[in-house]
Amino acid sequence: MTVTVKVFGALKARLGDRPALTVQVEQGRRVRDLIMAIHTLNPEVGTLLLDKHVIVSVNHDIAHDDTELTSADEIALLPPFSGGSCASRRMYV
Amino acid sequence: MSDSAALDGIEVEETMLVRVQREDFSLDEEINRVRNRSRRIGGIATFLGTARDWSEGRDVSHMVFDYYEGMAQKTLREIRTRALRDFDVLEALILHRYGEIAIGDNIVLVVVGAVHRADAFKACRWCIDELKQITPIWKCEHTPDGDVWVEQHP
Repeated sequence: MTVTVKVFGALKARLGDRPALTVQVEQGRRVRDLIMAIHTLNPEVGTLLLDKHVIVSVNHDIAHDDTELTSADEIALLPPFSGGSCASRRMYV
Repeated sequence: MSDSAALDGIEVEETMLVRVQREDFSLDEEINRVRNRSRRIGGIATFLGTARDWSEGRDVSHMVFDYYEGMAQKTLREIRTRALRDFDVLEALILHRYGEIAIGDNIVLVVVGAVHRADAFKACRWCIDELKQITPIWKCEHTPDGDVWVEQHP
């Protein structure tokens, strides 16, 4: 199946402000398989996922490596959050 | 007013208590929104986050907030629900802006009403700390050295 994966923040900037990635994964695959598919497409983003620097959400919930995926799921890649008004670590783009 | 109309009114009001919006907000209006939820409220604590012009030793000209529509609102609703459940408070309101924010402008607001101030202060602090930890909102600071996506926060 083909899934559309939304991206945000620094990750979106790194991907040239593309709002989403299109990734081919087989039906019934799990999040860990999606991560490997993304790693094949884009090793830099894949490494951020493998290092858990960027996490995956499925249907607005944080997903785990063994979370199952369907074509109807809303999937997103989430870099570390920074809401509010104070901050420390940063990523230049 | 019918029961359903009254219920609709409550639901509409509750959607106003958790918002992610581009436009600025009025502190007076938001405090009154909490105040009007219960005549038992005797103390209201607020946290207002604003945009500063200096970060990590660099000037900041302005900032831009990105957010995950749907998940951000869901997360803020969960924070409000947990605050009402876990603290002795009567109402909580959480707002966060997105888009471009000028220096000095409002970014985020938490308003908590309780019978007594101590509970309002505790819940208000918990809400903003939790918001920063788990809400899918991202800040990009524009500096002379380039754009900086902020990754974490104390």
